[in-house]
Amino acid sequence: MNHGFAKKNAAKARPAASVRSLNYSTSPLLAAPTPPWRSKLLVALVGLGFALLLGRAVYVQIVDAAFFLKQGEIRYAHTIELPANRGRIVDRNGLILAASVPAPSIWAIPKDLEGDAASRARLATLLGMTSAALESRLNDNPNFVWLRRQVDDPVAKAVRELGIKGIHEVREYKRKYPEGEAAAHVVGFTNVEERGQEGVELAFEKELAGKDGTRRVIKDRLGRVVEDVGDSVAPLAGEDIGLAIDSKVQFFAYQRIRDAVAANKAKAGSVVVLDAQTGEVLALANYPSYAPSDRRNLSGAQLRNRALTDTFEPGSTMKPFIAAWALETGRVTPQTVIQTAPGRMTLTGSTITDSHPHGNLTVTEVIQKSSNVGAVKMAMTFTPREMWELYSAVGFGQKPQLGFPGVVTGRLRPYKSWRPIEQATMSYGYGLSASLFQIAHAYTVFAHDGELIPVTLTRPIGGAPSTPVSGIRVLSPKTASTVRDMLHLVTLPGGTAPKAQVLGYSVGGKSGTAYKQEGASYATKKYRAWFVGMAPIAHPRIIVAVMVDEPSAGKYFGGDVAAPVFSEVVQQTLRMMGVQPDLDVKPQIVSHEIPAEEESF
Amino acid sequence: MRINVVLLLVLIASSLYLVRVSYESRRLFADLDKAQSEERALDNDSERLKTELRSQATPLRVERTARERLAMRAATPAVTTYVELPAAASAPAARTTP
Repeated sequence: MNHGFAKKNAAKARPAASVRSLNYSTSPLLAAPTPPWRSKLLVALVGLGFALLLGRAVYVQIVDAAFFLKQGEIRYAHTIELPANRGRIVDRNGLILAASVPAPSIWAIPKDLEGDAASRARLATLLGMTSAALESRLNDNPNFVWLRRQVDDPVAKAVRELGIKGIHEVREYKRKYPEGEAAAHVVGFTNVEERGQEGVELAFEKELAGKDGTRRVIKDRLGRVVEDVGDSVAPLAGEDIGLAIDSKVQFFAYQRIRDAVAANKAKAGSVVVLDAQTGEVLALANYPSYAPSDRRNLSGAQLRNRALTDTFEPGSTMKPFIAAWALETGRVTPQTVIQTAPGRMTLTGSTITDSHPHGNLTVTEVIQKSSNVGAVKMAMTFTPREMWELYSAVGFGQKPQLGFPGVVTGRLRPYKSWRPIEQATMSYGYGLSASLFQIAHAYTVFAHDGELIPVTLTRPIGGAPSTPVSGIRVLSPKTASTVRDMLHLVTLPGGTAPKAQVLGYSVGGKSGTAYKQEGASYATKKYRAWFVGMAPIAHPRIIVAVMVDEPSAGKYFGGDVAAPVFSEVVQQTLRMMGVQPDLDVKPQIVSHEIPAEEESF
Repeated sequence: MRINVVLLLVLIASSLYLVRVSYESRRLFADLDKAQSEERALDNDSERLKTELRSQATPLRVERTARERLAMRAATPAVTTYVELPAAASAPAARTTP
């Protein structure tokens, strides 16, 4: 074998020897001389190539370096928006009335959208739309469509878990209003961008809105933040706003006015509850109201905060002011007799009438029985200027300093243009206008011993218990107390509003009923009924004003329609404030003396 | 000559260490960032849950539940016994009056 191998090799070597003998340099192909310019061209080309690269490098690194640095940074550095939280709105006990919660918005790039029919159908149900609606939404624009703004967090999570490509979400916040429609008019609402549109949300927009921060970071391939670059601006969260509202009182007031409006087939109603010692607004409820969480509701008349924005002629509720000023200036005493027979009087050609002729009435009885003639006779002893000053001093014709949007001023004409008949009608509340809130505020004069106290809607969060405030003195404490006794008689048998009585608490107030003004004249079958009062009458803690608009279920007097609401609201509010009853109540808990069985011994 | 070799080795070692340290710092930073965003998410959740808790405890709901499920009624002065504060509680006030 070894031998064969060698033999084979030998056989192979022989032709190789003949190949080696071939002289390549003699090949005619290679014999052709290479022209020297070729190699020079090659060197020149290579050199040019290098020069080009060098030139480009110089351009990139030196000439236009800024542009390329910027382009590079765009690819690795990102600016992250740090959204600031909008402040909360809380009531006097720290209970949340409005707060922001995350609510992602879902959007899609329809041209990137994948996913089979089944997962699309699931998506449609999750988003609360029909499959057809979803498809038509997706056909709107191939590049970007909102599928749903501000869904709840769990829904967003479910959408994420579907894992459909082309569906994205963006973090957004949504306002939640736990109290819903009961506090809607006070708290207000925001738009979809979280800007305040109504109520406290609008009034305190600047304080509530935070300041968004930004942060510049470098992200790696996986999208993780690996480094902070430059300065970051921390987000500034919005302040929390504390209201003086007590959500329990607010709810109760809302519930009562809602029921009263329904029972009287009325158009609308309002309740205002003021703390008579601190001037805090404890409740401000209106019906009809709206649920602020549903955007479809956010239009129309139901948005009106009627207690603040609707003015009407205050009617009989003005009479106590006339009586108070007549007492204050010593023109009358509570026992002074005024002749009101025959229930009507004529003044410069116009006739003023009472609903029933009363004959001789004392000043106290004029208020108790609400006699127009009696009030006019007292008022006509005042000069127009005196009366105008009295009305302005208690806040008529002036905007309540609440810092709340849409608060109206009401109407009180300058005294120089008053004709005698106008002065007369103004004494029983016609010819001027005011909102329910203004009337309630004016009554602080009686409740706060003659001082008109400033009203406030806010209260520092976690602040010390509010202390009684002092205001502008209009009447002496003695006059205020005398008028309170008159107002108390209104709610007793013989007065116009016995239905205002409250079990356990002494109350006082004044009812009012008026034809509604429509255009230049008065509508005949449309009424407005209201009641303003305070309790407990000796040392008032609260003022409650109730107004019912167009009661049309037969009863329309303030004493019949508004006074029962007053009574219920006072009862609940004083109980919640822990005010002890000042009237003896016959207890309903009775323990009977049961004769014991005699023991046998 | 030998010192240069030593320096080269030290340089290589230090460079490798630098690479490692900067990698580590990035990793830690990413972790920190993740933890911070988790904190924010938890904050948001707690706010959401607080609000939800509150909407479950509105006076409307409480009153309805109390009335319907627990058969309770609103208290009126007629069914309330008012108790005077015991003397001990108002002791400082009492001491001033002999």
